[in-house]
Amino acid sequence: MESLVHLNPYEGKTVFGFLLQFVIRIGYFLFGELSFSDLASDEIQVIVLAGVSASSALVGSFLVLRKMTMLANSLSHTILLGIVSVYLLTGAHDGLSNVFVHVEPINIHAMLLAALATGLVTAFLTEFLTKVARLQEDASTGLIFSSLFALGIILVTLLTRNAHIGTEVVMGNVDALRLDDCKLVLVIFAINAALFTLFFKEFKITTFDPALSQAFGISTVFFNYLLMTQVSCTAIGAFRAVGALMVLAFITGPALTARLLTNDLKGMLFLAIGLGSIASLIGVALSRHFLTVYGLALSTGGVVVCTLTVFFAVAALYRCSVDFSLRDVA
Amino acid sequence: MGASLIDYFTDAVLRGPTIGSMLMCLAASLIGVIIFLRKQSLLGEALSHAAYPGVIIGVICAGLILEDDVNDAATAIFILLGAFCTALLGLVAINWLERGFKIRTDSALCFALSVFFGIGLTLASDVQFSFPALYRQAQSYLYGQASTMMDVHIIIYGALAIVVILTTLLLGKELQTITFNRDFAKSIGMKVSAIDAIIFILTALSVVIGIRSVGVVLMSAMLIAPAAAARQYTNNFHIMLLLAGLFGVISGFFGNYISVELSQYLAIRYPGSRLAMPTGPTIVLVASSICFLSLLFAPGRGLLLRLMRVTYFRHRCIRENILKTLWRFDQDFDRDKNIPFEHILQYQSVSRLYLHCILLSLIREGWLGKSQSNVYRLTSDGRKKASQIVRLHRLWEVYLADYVGIGAERVHHNAEEMEHIITPELERELTRLLKDPQVDPHRQRIPPMNANMDGI
Repeated sequence: MESLVHLNPYEGKTVFGFLLQFVIRIGYFLFGELSFSDLASDEIQVIVLAGVSASSALVGSFLVLRKMTMLANSLSHTILLGIVSVYLLTGAHDGLSNVFVHVEPINIHAMLLAALATGLVTAFLTEFLTKVARLQEDASTGLIFSSLFALGIILVTLLTRNAHIGTEVVMGNVDALRLDDCKLVLVIFAINAALFTLFFKEFKITTFDPALSQAFGISTVFFNYLLMTQVSCTAIGAFRAVGALMVLAFITGPALTARLLTNDLKGMLFLAIGLGSIASLIGVALSRHFLTVYGLALSTGGVVVCTLTVFFAVAALYRCSVDFSLRDVA
Repeated sequence: MGASLIDYFTDAVLRGPTIGSMLMCLAASLIGVIIFLRKQSLLGEALSHAAYPGVIIGVICAGLILEDDVNDAATAIFILLGAFCTALLGLVAINWLERGFKIRTDSALCFALSVFFGIGLTLASDVQFSFPALYRQAQSYLYGQASTMMDVHIIIYGALAIVVILTTLLLGKELQTITFNRDFAKSIGMKVSAIDAIIFILTALSVVIGIRSVGVVLMSAMLIAPAAAARQYTNNFHIMLLLAGLFGVISGFFGNYISVELSQYLAIRYPGSRLAMPTGPTIVLVASSICFLSLLFAPGRGLLLRLMRVTYFRHRCIRENILKTLWRFDQDFDRDKNIPFEHILQYQSVSRLYLHCILLSLIREGWLGKSQSNVYRLTSDGRKKASQIVRLHRLWEVYLADYVGIGAERVHHNAEEMEHIITPELERELTRLLKDPQVDPHRQRIPPMNANMDGI
């Protein structure tokens, strides 16, 4: 919590003032004049959102290349039920409202456990409907995530007895993020980064040439499930900040934008991470700007999504002009 | 509490939500059938999310234009218009992403839906401060809130639902042709792209009217679940439409009913919390329960019955294999025709108990006789039956070797399955085709055809 002495240094800043102040504060931080506990709420927001975008960019790039983004859509819905059931099963459902109302520290282990369970259960059920009950794939995907989400919404409304909980679930609330959230998000990013570094070759082969990977004895199924688990971890990390659904924009946006600009996998990954993080910084700055200048308290997560959209539009324009000039040369 | 089911149709407060939800779900399920058959079920997800910013824009317009006298009917129309426009815009965006940038369908859908939804949420956070009076109404579109619907809403939404229903029924033939065979539809001069456009517009329309009671987040389920459930019962397009409509209406009614009763219960249990159960999740849960039950239990396609058929077939195979085993003992050696249990068990990969049960039933049906405890022999009927199975097996081996040209060493495995499947007609045909062979590729004798075996 902010003490009275440390007023939020970003109070009343416009977008440029915000960015300037941010750079200055980073300087202070590097010279040891600021510690973690001094982080202003805007900085926590930047860290959490940038962490979320970086994780999302990594998993998103592979999802886009593997044509599996609908899976991310499913998982972003079903994590709600995952969170609710882990809190129910561990008998800690009084703590459930913390996830949404943000009073006490959240339980990082419970959250990660929820992510793991959700990822596997969603994937398993969808596959069960497709393979065993022989429902066509699009329908089974849609059926599973919507019914699980409906169940989640009913349970969370009943358990927290909060009439506005449904809105919180889809909107998230960056203003109530705390230092714990930074930890959760950074842990998730570290896991994602480590796994992709460690298994880069395996992910690459299973993505681009599943037949070859079979020949090498690399299990595509295993890496599918691994990626799925990573996606649900990422969605959990994003849940408190941007809600259940908007994380999909973080997953697809930077990856698609980077895909327009490069054909190289590593380049695409780094570009996506960069774009996502920059969009988060700009988004937080813009939302502060709107508050200062127009007195509008816009949803910061929403503003970041809008920034990502602008990035994509710019990249699309650039791509169009390149294609156009290439056509002229030809 | 205590409202009977009929009250839900007559009571001035209850009939609005009830009839409203039922009409909306009906429209959605009919269109759902078409997009289900076109394997585009997830389009509904994208369209419903794309409608959300339109809802908010509608609210803002209503707030700006109507200012003081905000009335429900006018607001509803603004919201409908806004939602319809952005839903179509979403469709255009998806198309543009796919065509212009060669982005795959799934990524394009997900990107478009999340971006539209994000923009919607940003606008919504603005409405919260600029039009606080309308904010609650705007947010009720997230999960649907049928309970605030009145007769005037029924008229507006009912009219739109009827447009969707009538168009679907009138264009039934064209929709069917295009859905199942695009090329044929083109060749007989149907305007395929025009009808495609109509389907998209109808989908957008049914999504837009549906989000009032089901909400943008869960709307896609109402397009999928009734259609998927109906598919389990029929192969006929028209019956499928009818069934899906029926399931949709049932989910609309009971979803609304459960949510009203639950809200009343919560109001009594926790007075002061102002908890109202959103209708969307309950409608969706009812619809998906119907769908899951149909997937499991529907006659013909249901999982359970399919499993039962598979189990029965396996059971039959094992019975026939046991007869075959006994027949081999019977034929090949000049030894005792009485076979002890342990011997039979050696040749079968089944549990002891299961084998006992099967042997018992074989004795009861007269294929086997039991000479002493745990020692079995074939009856004369059983011998005929077993030789018939062996005949089918060897006939098939001859067919594979002579006609399909598979090496004699590889024909056994396939014949092991086919011997349980070949029908008497097929057997006659094979005999004629192969000129009644006497030996199989392994030079084993083929038992002669048994004329009076057909019935057994």
